[in-house]
Amino acid sequence: MNYPSLSDETLLLLIARDQTEALSELYRRYNRLIYSLAVAVVSDPHSAEEVTLDVFTRVWQKADTYQPDRAGVRTWLSRITRNLALNVVRRRNVRLDARSLRWADVTPPPIPTEHQPESMAELAQAQARVRAAIRELPPEQQEALALAYFGGYSHQQIADELDYPLGTVKTRIRSAMKKLRHLLQDELDLPPET
Amino acid sequence: MLNHLETSENLPEYALGSLNDDLAVAVSEHVAGCAACRSELLLWQAVADQLALAAPPGDPPPALEQRLMRQIAPPIRAAAPKRSDWLAWLRRTSPLWAAAAMLLLAVLGVNNLNLRQQVLEHQQHTAPMAAIPMYGASAEDPASGVVVVSADGEYGTLVVQHLPELPDHQVYQLWLIENGQRTNGGTFKVDEHGYTALEIESPQDLVLYDAFGVTVEPAGGSPGPTGPKVLGSP
Repeated sequence: MNYPSLSDETLLLLIARDQTEALSELYRRYNRLIYSLAVAVVSDPHSAEEVTLDVFTRVWQKADTYQPDRAGVRTWLSRITRNLALNVVRRRNVRLDARSLRWADVTPPPIPTEHQPESMAELAQAQARVRAAIRELPPEQQEALALAYFGGYSHQQIADELDYPLGTVKTRIRSAMKKLRHLLQDELDLPPET
Repeated sequence: MLNHLETSENLPEYALGSLNDDLAVAVSEHVAGCAACRSELLLWQAVADQLALAAPPGDPPPALEQRLMRQIAPPIRAAAPKRSDWLAWLRRTSPLWAAAAMLLLAVLGVNNLNLRQQVLEHQQHTAPMAAIPMYGASAEDPASGVVVVSADGEYGTLVVQHLPELPDHQVYQLWLIENGQRTNGGTFKVDEHGYTALEIESPQDLVLYDAFGVTVEPAGGSPGPTGPKVLGSP
């Protein structure tokens, strides 16, 4: 079977049937994305490795619970990763240095190569577009958004951390999300009925 | 309770998970009963989901894939030696084996009786307990648990992890399910790590139940499940 040519959803169906080659292919497609997100949240590489391992182990165990009408596979994996990584941080009971929570630099969209799987090329281009959109936000909005998304901070915690009024933090996050919604409207992974 | 406009204004932050707890609860209560807000929330969740793509890039160590494959695969038994290798070796050492075999039979004959008695005693004292896993509502949900039942079914303990702490007016409640009927198994709170162990209250042997579930209920518990299910057994 030509696993690189299969869709993510098909790979999950095969994983649910205990096909390890399908899990390998899914790992090859998304291990960098998952690991990068894990490191951004937990900060240290060792914990990020364990989170990454935990994510794909869960995929192996629960592939049959994936519902394609709720979110794409990439989104599903990202949500699992963020939740597990934030749990690691919360169990430590120690807040990370807010300055360690940051966005990726803007990189030019990659040029697809002949031998690069289509899914990998699409992922790389999507990443480039999202990074560029975030860099269009004012620095203070980027900062608040990073604390909320990567750090799992609440508004009050962000306000305390950055020494801003609560209302200011709320406005910045709300404005950031509205602008991103406008900039990324063609990228959004929405359920079919939305 | 929040009105529609107040809820709508807070949906972006709710999708991010950055609302303070009391406001998040108020938003969730409104969303549960408002189709327009549920639809709008899906849009904001889709925006929040995109943020994962903007994490600074990193590469896991190459060996991580091998660790994953070892973790999910059953253990591989060591390859048995080839039959031809064994036969050649036996032919070379056969005189020595004859003498050793006689001695071994004499020793084993004495020990065998003692060993058999030990095995029988061990089986009586260490009958296996049953462990029934419990999972969160979805694969993204890190919460999980296990119900451990004694061999005779008379005693059981629920152990949970990664469940969110509840406000004072709520508790988690365990349900023992038989033929669709739910029986209270006890209520509990979790610590700051989302962990606790509950000694299960049951009117009958636990092995007689088909399944187990945990829901969120008002403080003091409920006669039957009224709140959202957070854990369930397969």
